[in-house]
Amino acid sequence: MAASRELFDVAQRCIDLARAQGAAEVAARAYKTRDVTVQWRDGKLEQINEATTRGASLQLYVDGRYSAAQSSDLRPDALARFVADAVAMTRSLAPDPHRSLPDPSLYGNRPAADLQIDDPAYAGVSPEKRRAVAQALEAGARGVKGADAILSVTGGVNDTRSETVRVHSNGFRGERVDTQFWSYASVSVKDADGRRPEDGAYAGVRFVGELPEAETVGRLSAERAIARLGAKKAASAQLPMVLENRTAGRLAGFLGQPLSARALQQKQSFLEGKLGQAVGSEKMTVTDDPLLPRGFGSRHFDAEGISARRLPIFEKGVLRNCYVDTYYGKKLGMAPTTGSTSNLAWAKGDKDRDGLIAEVQDGILVTGFIGGNSNATTGDFSLGVQGFRIRGGKLAEAVAEMNIAGNHLELWKRLSAVGNDPYPYSPLRTPTLVFDGVQFAGL
Amino acid sequence: MSEMTRREALGLSAATLASVTLSDLILGPAEAAALAAGPSAGIGYFSRFGVTEALIKTALGEALSHGGDHADVFFQHRVGNNYLLEDGAVNRAMTNVELGVGVRVVKGDQTGYGFTEDLTLEGIRLAARTAAAIADGPARPGPTRFHAVSDLPSRYPVKTRWEDVRPEQKLPLLNGLNEKALAADPRMRKVVVNFADQASVILVADSSGRIVEDAQPMTSLYLSCVAEQDGRREQNAYNVAGRADIGYYTAERLERMVREAVSRTTILFEAVPAPAGEMPVVLAAGASGILLHEAIGHGMEADFNRKNVSIYSDKIGKPVAAPFVNIVDEGTQAEARGALNVDDEANPVDRTMLVQDGILATYLHDSISAKHYGVKPTGNGRRESYQFAPMPRMRSTYMLPGPHKKEEILASVKSGIYCTNFTNGQVQIGAGDFTFYVKNGYLIEDGKLTRPVKDVNVIGNGPKVLEKIDMVADDLKIDEGGWTCGKNGQGVPVSQGIPTVRVASITVGGAGKRG
Repeated sequence: MAASRELFDVAQRCIDLARAQGAAEVAARAYKTRDVTVQWRDGKLEQINEATTRGASLQLYVDGRYSAAQSSDLRPDALARFVADAVAMTRSLAPDPHRSLPDPSLYGNRPAADLQIDDPAYAGVSPEKRRAVAQALEAGARGVKGADAILSVTGGVNDTRSETVRVHSNGFRGERVDTQFWSYASVSVKDADGRRPEDGAYAGVRFVGELPEAETVGRLSAERAIARLGAKKAASAQLPMVLENRTAGRLAGFLGQPLSARALQQKQSFLEGKLGQAVGSEKMTVTDDPLLPRGFGSRHFDAEGISARRLPIFEKGVLRNCYVDTYYGKKLGMAPTTGSTSNLAWAKGDKDRDGLIAEVQDGILVTGFIGGNSNATTGDFSLGVQGFRIRGGKLAEAVAEMNIAGNHLELWKRLSAVGNDPYPYSPLRTPTLVFDGVQFAGL
Repeated sequence: MSEMTRREALGLSAATLASVTLSDLILGPAEAAALAAGPSAGIGYFSRFGVTEALIKTALGEALSHGGDHADVFFQHRVGNNYLLEDGAVNRAMTNVELGVGVRVVKGDQTGYGFTEDLTLEGIRLAARTAAAIADGPARPGPTRFHAVSDLPSRYPVKTRWEDVRPEQKLPLLNGLNEKALAADPRMRKVVVNFADQASVILVADSSGRIVEDAQPMTSLYLSCVAEQDGRREQNAYNVAGRADIGYYTAERLERMVREAVSRTTILFEAVPAPAGEMPVVLAAGASGILLHEAIGHGMEADFNRKNVSIYSDKIGKPVAAPFVNIVDEGTQAEARGALNVDDEANPVDRTMLVQDGILATYLHDSISAKHYGVKPTGNGRRESYQFAPMPRMRSTYMLPGPHKKEEILASVKSGIYCTNFTNGQVQIGAGDFTFYVKNGYLIEDGKLTRPVKDVNVIGNGPKVLEKIDMVADDLKIDEGGWTCGKNGQGVPVSQGIPTVRVASITVGGAGKRG
């Protein structure tokens, strides 16, 4: 479905107003999003949230100066004052010779393939249907073996439909309509020592008809929570780490910032000077893929209007490309690629999570991170973890309150295996990852 | 998507803080006079947007059209500006204007919520009808008349409204920090400064007829440094934030920012790998209050307890810490980032004892949990913006001074670490496991601070760690950093503090040998 005419009118009005105030170039974006959440807890409806939000944002290039502005107040008089103020404020800043809209040639060859991110069935999702799914999530959780330990179950559904348009004064015009449907369940269980561990499960899709059965998501959430019972801190040791696909996105996500042109230019990237060099093992092959059908990061153009294309990031561990936007590209003398990740496509291995666990004699399966951080300038990281010991290729006791630490420049070289199971509910699409010799802290 | 598990996080986010305004045009002199007349004037500020008692009555009537115990409306106008200095020039600014209203209907512990940016009668009625869907009974009447909540405290008095501060007055703050930081050490390579100011005004009106307005300023300043030595680079930062006007930026505060940002960065070159494993940890006075936020604060938010999913759900009235441990959450400190004159449900904000003389005392309540427990609300009902329903949230959380001295605490540790600066933390409400990330610290060897350490996560379990706090000094300090607390996808500004304390044993997540 096309974005509404009204949004193009708002964006064009912003551009006209800004130019009337003396802006040389303008990029305008207007959006409208409907978001509905229905949550069910312990036998009854807990919360309904529903709203349609809207707004407009502008990037202004005035007298060689730059600013950005956003407003949810689109009343005509207010919008006119808002734009006038924003242009006036831009004039108070220092000039910046590196600021400009993208070269219009980068708008060309825009892909036209159907990304399949807009479900025509969206309008048919009824309040009754949402409640029924939320309720079924709880039923699925309560039906598992060991459900006696359950203290509370929350199940919910969330769906959104967004329309966004983007218009630039140097010729770009684009629109995007996308839908998302999520179901989730979270379960708390009572442990013998007074702890109340919890875990959950969730699923998200572009087309409502592809959501997994609510009972399945509910059951998985309870199974995961019950598996946390009796979790204990284990001894500090260097061990192989099997990192579950759903959790691996947090670790891989820490590569995003140091891969950005801003971090490179601001000398805050441990990947500076590494283009063409091996920073990971041969198992590490990752491509930025904006054209993946039904992906959560799929797009025809990026946040600057630059036409989307596949971009190799790592090939057999060798860094091939960084995320370069127009501004920091100019500062660095690098051609723009794109300023942000879309979907990641990982070269797959030939085993799933359980197959990879079976190959580990003595190690730890990490199923969740808690807190911690990563230093983009040096590559040092330290992250709280929970999961399970692996002994003789089999899952053993649950572990909690532990930590891993190291440096990305060493860690990714110890990537010894990659699963065949890209996680479908995140644009990072990480498979299960296996690393050798990871420092775990515990007792 | 919605938050799936109850994991709450805290971070220093001033660099991304949406903030403020420009506009003499948006807020003219007549309107300023209306605001100056104060919150007790009922609808003052919001009259400029066409908000009237009749409009609010209609909205609340529509909200209660299917029954429900309670309904409220939350109007917000928030204008924020960010200015960024990079590579020696303030050459980027971001402005964000938010205007909208949220309508909530509560029935027992069930909530219906809708919001809109369209402040017309029809827009608000639509949002109210959405919220009303949580209930399924007969309509009940809304309030027939309103009474303004009077005698609000004045915890963030503003001499000059941010709307009246010209960019030319703000830019020297950024340029000054840049010049001083670059001049402070020959190893400095890059400096980034982010200044944010924000003027938010809220109006809450509810089905009991209460109506209140509050103008809530916020400002923050962030200074980041990258230094280089022998081909190695390190980055660190210092930031400050408060509900204040431009007078907040005293020469002393700005000098402290430069001193702290530069020294916290350059000391990283001397750092050795932090040890791995359980050991005694001493937390420096101030930002170490992050321990309280994660180890107990979140678990004491009453929504988790009424749902029976917090590790503290059955511990009220029981001893949880040594008798000299007292922990409070309050919103009364002038200019603090977590200060409030009134919460987002129109309830008064005061001081709440979480732990008194080592005994678990009081949960942090919003109106739903207060009704559930049959107690008065504690003024902890907060929300990120008009787009969200309120829930129990912390304000400023800290530990009161104890009987020990910092020197004796450090001297008591044979082998451990001393933590001074932090970037973020997280907690699992039910299991009680929590973490905080230490950006700067030191090894303690034979009672003395020796080599610096950096970038190390510390992980523990809330109740177990409270039991292991065995020394508390007399040097309470409230941190001035720009902390933002995240819960169920909503971020709210908070403060924290603590005196120097010792935790007898906790897991340090380093990659090195035990010290």
